[in-house]
Amino acid sequence: MDELERLKKDWKNQEDTYPKLSYNEIYKMILKKSSSIVKWIFIISLLEFAFWAVISFAFKDADSIVRFKEYHAENIMIPMTILGYLILIYFFYRFYTNYKTISATDSAKKLMENILKTRRTVKQYVGFNLIYLFISTFVALGILFDRDENFSEIIDKASANGELFKLYATTILVTLFALAIAIGLILGFYYLIYGILLKRLNSNYSELKKLEN
Amino acid sequence: MNKELEHSFVELLEKHQNIVHKVCRLYTNNQDAHNDLFQEITIQLWKAYPKFRGDAKFSTWMYRVGLNTAITLYRKNKRRINTQDFEGVQFKIKAETYDDTEEQQLKLLYSAVHQLNDIEKALVFLYLEDKNYKEISETMGISEVNARVKMNRIKTKLRTILNP
Repeated sequence: MDELERLKKDWKNQEDTYPKLSYNEIYKMILKKSSSIVKWIFIISLLEFAFWAVISFAFKDADSIVRFKEYHAENIMIPMTILGYLILIYFFYRFYTNYKTISATDSAKKLMENILKTRRTVKQYVGFNLIYLFISTFVALGILFDRDENFSEIIDKASANGELFKLYATTILVTLFALAIAIGLILGFYYLIYGILLKRLNSNYSELKKLEN
Repeated sequence: MNKELEHSFVELLEKHQNIVHKVCRLYTNNQDAHNDLFQEITIQLWKAYPKFRGDAKFSTWMYRVGLNTAITLYRKNKRRINTQDFEGVQFKIKAETYDDTEEQQLKLLYSAVHQLNDIEKALVFLYLEDKNYKEISETMGISEVNARVKMNRIKTKLRTILNP
């Protein structure tokens, strides 16, 4: 008899060794809250959506935005803002429909795929925000160079001294450096949170995928 | 959720609770973790219950939700320290079948099963529960052929663990 057959025989003999929970004990359990990984992904994702939405709102009345109004750059800023919100709505809709498809009654593989799909949508959203941050920073920089009076003076001065290239290069490099730090911090944070949360799911999913190859 | 639904669910689960206990035994190391997982499976079963249709057997449906919770949904509670070893608490050998060598061998076997990964444990569990390869493949979401191949590999792996 092979190992599993022996185990099966004993497994069947174990039937009456399991605890017996009463009706009331089980009833109490259904009133408690779940602490499943899906719930955590949902909460973290909502926080991510909220985080980026709050950031865009928080900067709405900031001095720099008021100053931008003076540059009459509405033809650039308004479409960019609208685009940002449309994309937020699109991602939120996709996230929500993905989330609704997660069901514990699917096969193990399907369930894992649906969770990872939901996670991927939020990942794409974060990716979009980082790209948006990158582009809007450089658009803002371009507007500053072009329309800000203080900048015009500095540019004129640099131009007179023959250091125009140096000025542009330094500004762009400093901006790039600041952006790299900000993006690095954000990505590091995500990597840590999801690394911990999805480690087991990822390894189980790749175990199932391995079977198909 | 109405009271009638609650009542029918709790009654069914009370009757079939062994299935959940078995999943917990395979996936946890101690009583606290067992209780935690039992609780989470119960919640997941309850959440899915309104969509449960009578055309599937309640027990069959429980295998799916129970395993999905253990493998994927359950977030292990790291704060709890394993106070008891798996072999010590999990499987009691019945007095009438008591045999020292047999008992030792079974203990080693159970301990070897515990060393398998989550997916392998799920396949072993369904096998021990007399599920055929069609059911195993449907529960796991893999083909029947792959389920058979994997089961053979698990047998080999168990042998390697037992006879290193």
